Amino acid sequence: MLTKSLKWIYVGIGLLLAIVPLIWMVAGSFRTEADLYGHTASLLPHEWTLHGYRGVWQQLPFLRLLFNSVLFAGVTTALTVLFDSMCAYALARLRFRGRTVAFWLVLVTLMVPFQVTLIPVFMELFHFDWLNTYQGLILPRATSAFGIFLFRQFFMSIPKELDEAARIDGAGHLRIYWRVILPLAKPAIATVALLNFTNLWNDLIWPLVVSTDNTMQTLPAGLALFAGQHVTDHAVLFAGAIISLLPIAVVFFLAQRYFVAGISTSGLK
Amino acid sequence: MRNKRALAALASVALTGLLVSGCGNSDDSSGSGPVSLTVWTGFTGGDAPGYDEIVSDFNAAHPDIKVTMTKMSWDTIQQKLPSAWVTGQGPDIAAPSSDPNAIAQYVKTNSVLEITNTGTGDDKVNTDQLAAELVKEFTYNGKLYAVPANYATLSLYYNKKLVSKPPTTVAELQDQAAKLTTGGNYGLVLADNNTIQMWPILQWLSGGDIVDANNCSVVSTPAGIASLQPWVDLVKNKKISPVGLSGAEADSLFSAGKAAMEINGPWAAPSYQKAGVDFGLAAVPAGADGKPVTLGSTAPLAISAKTKHPQQAQEFLAYWTSKTAQLKFSKTTGFPPLRTDLGDDADLKADPTVSIFASQVSNARLYLPQVPNATKVDTDAYVPLIQTATRDGDVAGAAATAAKKINELTGCTQ
Amino acid sequence: MTTLLRKAPAVLGGRGRAAGYLFMAPSLLILGVFVLFPIGRSLWYSLHNWTVGAAEQPWTGLDNYTKLFGDAQFRRALANTLIITVASTAVLVVIGLGLALALQSENVVSRVIRSAFFFPTVISLTTVGMVWRFLLDPDIGLVGGVTRALGLDPVNWLQSTALALPTVIFVNVWKNAGFVMIVLVAGLKAIPGEYYEAASLDGAGRLQTLRSITLPALRPTMLFVTFMVTVQSLQLFDLVYVMTGGGPLDHTETLVTKLYRDGFVNYETGYAAATSWVLFIVVVLVSALQLRIFRYNDAD
Repeated sequence: MLTKSLKWIYVGIGLLLAIVPLIWMVAGSFRTEADLYGHTASLLPHEWTLHGYRGVWQQLPFLRLLFNSVLFAGVTTALTVLFDSMCAYALARLRFRGRTVAFWLVLVTLMVPFQVTLIPVFMELFHFDWLNTYQGLILPRATSAFGIFLFRQFFMSIPKELDEAARIDGAGHLRIYWRVILPLAKPAIATVALLNFTNLWNDLIWPLVVSTDNTMQTLPAGLALFAGQHVTDHAVLFAGAIISLLPIAVVFFLAQRYFVAGISTSGLK
Repeated sequence: MRNKRALAALASVALTGLLVSGCGNSDDSSGSGPVSLTVWTGFTGGDAPGYDEIVSDFNAAHPDIKVTMTKMSWDTIQQKLPSAWVTGQGPDIAAPSSDPNAIAQYVKTNSVLEITNTGTGDDKVNTDQLAAELVKEFTYNGKLYAVPANYATLSLYYNKKLVSKPPTTVAELQDQAAKLTTGGNYGLVLADNNTIQMWPILQWLSGGDIVDANNCSVVSTPAGIASLQPWVDLVKNKKISPVGLSGAEADSLFSAGKAAMEINGPWAAPSYQKAGVDFGLAAVPAGADGKPVTLGSTAPLAISAKTKHPQQAQEFLAYWTSKTAQLKFSKTTGFPPLRTDLGDDADLKADPTVSIFASQVSNARLYLPQVPNATKVDTDAYVPLIQTATRDGDVAGAAATAAKKINELTGCTQ
Repeated sequence: MTTLLRKAPAVLGGRGRAAGYLFMAPSLLILGVFVLFPIGRSLWYSLHNWTVGAAEQPWTGLDNYTKLFGDAQFRRALANTLIITVASTAVLVVIGLGLALALQSENVVSRVIRSAFFFPTVISLTTVGMVWRFLLDPDIGLVGGVTRALGLDPVNWLQSTALALPTVIFVNVWKNAGFVMIVLVAGLKAIPGEYYEAASLDGAGRLQTLRSITLPALRPTMLFVTFMVTVQSLQLFDLVYVMTGGGPLDHTETLVTKLYRDGFVNYETGYAAATSWVLFIVVVLVSALQLRIFRYNDAD
């Protein structure tokens, strides 16, 4: 009985800490400056205003930014899932010389902070003449070491009898990968896709550096630039943050079931 | 075998598909039609409409040139511009930063074009009509690499609800700052990082300085320490301002009516008006020696060394600094005019905002002009000096550390 | 990680080779061109007094590295990074395990509460940093407001040299606790029920079961989460950049904010590259250390 109530006190405090900042942020996007300064102890607005959202809506080329973001995060995620699962298939299911080396190389790339390679990558893209292009924006991010790991783990938990049966039926690697392994890997695909989509969507520096052209700006980058022009207006800052968070929140609530399943079944045990 | 080929095809389709679909660098200069010039600036404050006007007026008067100005945060420009210009990407013209000695870095990497289109007449940059110290700030080895995009002075903003009569001497300023700090309000908000410099003005007012004519530190001289001590005491003991404020945080406190006074530039006025603060403007009070002093601040406007249209770009700078454009700009923004030949303009003298800022031009000093590594002197020595002293109150100790660092950075040998 | 590093069982014989290379080609090509080659490039930069675009990039050998260790800001950044990493990881594992144990059952309540905890994981670090910066601001934040309502003086969390670093660690924990919890819930579910049955037959108590059954069985999962969390903490940037900019007085400066400052504010690319190599080596060492700590008798 005691442990049970202790448990709920613990979860309750944690829940409060997790949720209150989010409520405060959403409420803050509807508050006037005077309200924010005048009623600091209050979680909810005393007087409501929509000027934060109105400002964002009127002054940003919203659809263009949204389109760019969906294109960047969406296409890159799709490619990542494809490339990562292919690479993982080789690492988990095939035996060939260099496999271990390849695996360690992938491991090493996971340890490289993004800022470290930013300038050299920029120079590379310049030499390829890929700055301000969609391939420059997308290709360098189209694989992730973490995704390769996750897929590899997942594939290793799939019974090998399935491949063998398919091979006896005369299937080649491509067919086994595409028809046998991938259909079984839906939870892993959901996990890798959600994590990558989130990361790419939230990425600010990369789109800013690769594209000097404003028509290629992504939604979070556009909102960050916009917010930078209204640093003394908190409602605008909060509204911008919430708008860029919304699409991710939708994806999250749609995909979270698969995501949890992906984590639990991908052999992290 | 079949699979191998299929795989190779799959991989190469995935890769080349993107190559084909991507759009290349578009540069419409090769075709007929007007020449396009792009400009990057960080003018996102209340003064933004003034710059927009210059651009639209220029475009209207020059059908053969089309200028597009993009505004972004100074941070973003700092991240993108150096490598963009080196690689011939990026804008034709930019205001890289309003930091002291900001152009030096670009001169070093041969990224900026020398401005040769100078002289008299409307189609040239009239350097002799610009403040001499600004021209000097942007001149390296006898060559001019930028023109000032603006020249602002700082004035004292005061909240009329809290301040009945603005201070006119430094003693009054200190006195009021302490008295007005009550009931959750701050007497004088002082930002010390990511801001237009406020602390150097306080030091100048109280008879101190940062470096001397040989770029050697003077912060730890007796005069230097004595000039900081009273202000540090006010912050630490009287809490006239929170410590560690950024410029935006200080502005936001003033906007919300939580600060009685703030020293700031003309760009702040429109957003304070919008926020509904009933504020007044006064010249920065006279210093301890009875002489007035304030900070002058400028942002350089420079041309990429790799621009395809050097001629047109210089023409644009000439227009930007012309008498017509500057008169209109001052009226719109409240900034003092860049040009000395507008100093006596009757219209500007009658404008309450412009006149306050313009009246202080002759007393204004630049922060760390042409000091080697000026940005680092600021971030690595001066900001830590203020932040340490306002927290622990030991001005002498903090100043000694800062002095050592400053001399290292400026290359001063004593 | 032990399982992660486990050799994959061989399914196929010699025929796998060409197919293996082809399947790996896209990923390895991208990682090679856009991660491995650039990190090699940055090693090259670090041996020069390198400035983007300068006409000359003079060779300076190891000067940048010797200079680093005499640089007080660097030493502080290194210490802060290690403190953030160790503290965040330890606190996250304890809190995450507690939450996972409390919320492992598959009922609606647990599932909803788990989602609430996990949600901060998908919010961008810049947004998290901004919200907490304002939340903790004594003049506008809820925290200061509540403190005042209780009759106390509000604390300036992010401007205090003593409190800024712990506050950054707290927010880092806030952001990642849900991730750790979800992964550990997955790990708990994978423990066969027979283990627990056997333990209860032996009359083991709750705590004893936790110590002798749950924790050992959870070890590989623990290794995985600590690996993810330490790598993320060692590379912490956005959160600090937005909340404190590395201040006050470098008290929250991390290796990545330091290399950002050197590389993108002061344009000392070579010097920043030296910092990044130190960081890279630290990450590799810490990961190797984790492998050792968590080494156990893997079945295969």
